Amino acid sequence: MIARGLILASALFACAASAQGYQPYPYPPPPAPGYPPPAPGYPQGPGAYPPGPVLAIPVLEQDLRVKAGSDTVRFGRDSYVLTPQSQATLTAQAQWLIQHPYVNASIEGHADVRQTRDYALALGERRAAAVRNYLIASGVPPEQLQIVSWGRERPTSEAVHDATWLQNSRVVTVLKQPSQQLQPWMPQPLPLPLPQQ
Amino acid sequence: MRFSKSSLLILTFTAVLAASAQAQSGPSQIVLAVPQFPTPKNVKTDGGETGVIGIQISQQIVSDLRTTRAIYPTGPDGLRHYTPTEAGAPLYPNWAGIGAGALVTGYVQARDDGRINVVCYLYDLKTRREMTRKGFAVEATEWKRAAHRCAGAFYTAVTKRPGLFDSRITYVAATGTRTQPVKRIAIMNWDGTDHSYLTQGGVTVTSPRLSPDGEHVVYMSFAGGMPNLRIMDADGSNDRQLLQSTSMSFAPRFSPDGRSIAFSMAVDGNTDIYVVDSNGGYPRRLTSAPGIDTSPSFSPDGRQITFESDRSGTQQIYVMNSDGSIQHRISFGGGSNSSPVWSPDGDRIAFSRWTGANIAIGLMSPAGGDEKLLTSGWQDEAPSWSPDSEWVMFQRTQQGTGTGSLHMVSVGGGEPKSVATPQPAADPSWSGVVQ
Repeated sequence: MIARGLILASALFACAASAQGYQPYPYPPPPAPGYPPPAPGYPQGPGAYPPGPVLAIPVLEQDLRVKAGSDTVRFGRDSYVLTPQSQATLTAQAQWLIQHPYVNASIEGHADVRQTRDYALALGERRAAAVRNYLIASGVPPEQLQIVSWGRERPTSEAVHDATWLQNSRVVTVLKQPSQQLQPWMPQPLPLPLPQQ
Repeated sequence: MRFSKSSLLILTFTAVLAASAQAQSGPSQIVLAVPQFPTPKNVKTDGGETGVIGIQISQQIVSDLRTTRAIYPTGPDGLRHYTPTEAGAPLYPNWAGIGAGALVTGYVQARDDGRINVVCYLYDLKTRREMTRKGFAVEATEWKRAAHRCAGAFYTAVTKRPGLFDSRITYVAATGTRTQPVKRIAIMNWDGTDHSYLTQGGVTVTSPRLSPDGEHVVYMSFAGGMPNLRIMDADGSNDRQLLQSTSMSFAPRFSPDGRSIAFSMAVDGNTDIYVVDSNGGYPRRLTSAPGIDTSPSFSPDGRQITFESDRSGTQQIYVMNSDGSIQHRISFGGGSNSSPVWSPDGDRIAFSRWTGANIAIGLMSPAGGDEKLLTSGWQDEAPSWSPDSEWVMFQRTQQGTGTGSLHMVSVGGGEPKSVATPQPAADPSWSGVVQ
């Protein structure tokens, strides 16, 4: 099942990539040996330098919801199996994330309010891990993703009825600025030694 | 107990009748005279004058013991005064004819370091023997805890069971909306007095657990954006992270000696049980089965741990040795079963069962079997034992509103009693008692 999902995912991904003229994101080359490391305060790592103007997170999230269909996938009680519908949503999310490498994603797992509290935390983490693994298998760089479980601490619906409680069994892809982006980008002279005469 | 005022009244009447019949009244009730505690020298302290503290301590002992069925306390009004010297050597003829089977004496003395000595004795007036004694050096403002512990020692001497008077309960006070809840850890005495908040609600917190001595609280917090364990003193001070780990950790519980903490850690979809020193350090892994192993709880001798696991496909209850060996399933009574908690006397395990329509609190034998359900609410969960193993406190959630509140049910069964809290409440944890 997972293997089939992978094949499906990579096939879809290949189609989408060629259709939209996808170029793999160029990682910065590793620094030459002996090159002084960047001064503290400079953004570092992949995704540190946005290729274009940076949009606000809510705008990007709206874009993700439109392009991928949803930022949420849902589960049955006790389950962490990704349904075909969930897999299609996640494949589209993966494409979006690959096209927006300068945004990180927090994969937030939830369980319904009729799980006991400890198990709900573990189940949310298990669901989030399943989604993250699927996204990585779909080509998203692992360092762009982090997972967190909210257990049953953040239900989506106000009321608790037998008809509605299962809505809370879900994983939501929440976009985050990479932490480096939060620091102001301050151009500073590199502390280079003075050339010797 | 405080939650059964009517039965207490009836008890009071029978006890008054019994008092006139002298000494041991019913088959299981003893009348206890509690005259006011003297002080060698009336000294002003942070907690008031030592003479006044002596009166307050005797009043507190009376009000603590009045909540029990086994002891009927009288005093301090109407009983003769005595000197601190007599506290350790009562003049028995002077206490004859007061209609009591036992006598409480003691004294309060200011110390040079600003604290006070509280000493208390219990004497059997019939056999003229000392039954027990206790002595504490405490901050003058903490006189109440000394009184609770004296009352607990007396209760234990009479009934051979731990007294609850110095035990405390911590829980999560839940306000805000369901989708944006505000959760604070609260703590109170077992009888609902001295209620205070230990966290301020800026960060979502769950599952506070009191150490057996009631001095520390370990809990799970979303501080830093990731569920992780924190530990603090029971007055909210000294709050710190327990583990140096980037993985999420939750479901903590103290060992009976308070030295270690069992908990769950989740790594890449697999949750296992670990044990760590309560001062922190490197955790030791106990389970490695694929699947979710969580909600560990030690046996009272510290040799075994009960926990829940879904390794069989559904959540079921298991027992293992505290080094992780011999993991075996004990729940076979149907449904999916979770949150096992070992009783302080070691005889039972309380748990919650999902029946497919509701969640109920149940009891079973640690060897497996003898399963029975105690409650029938829509959602009753998170059991916690009273120190005397007579009651199970739990969280009840109302269908529709989703509002949580604390209840307790006798191990013998019967209708659960509501435990009053200022706000909706979840996740109770009852401390042990210091003997």
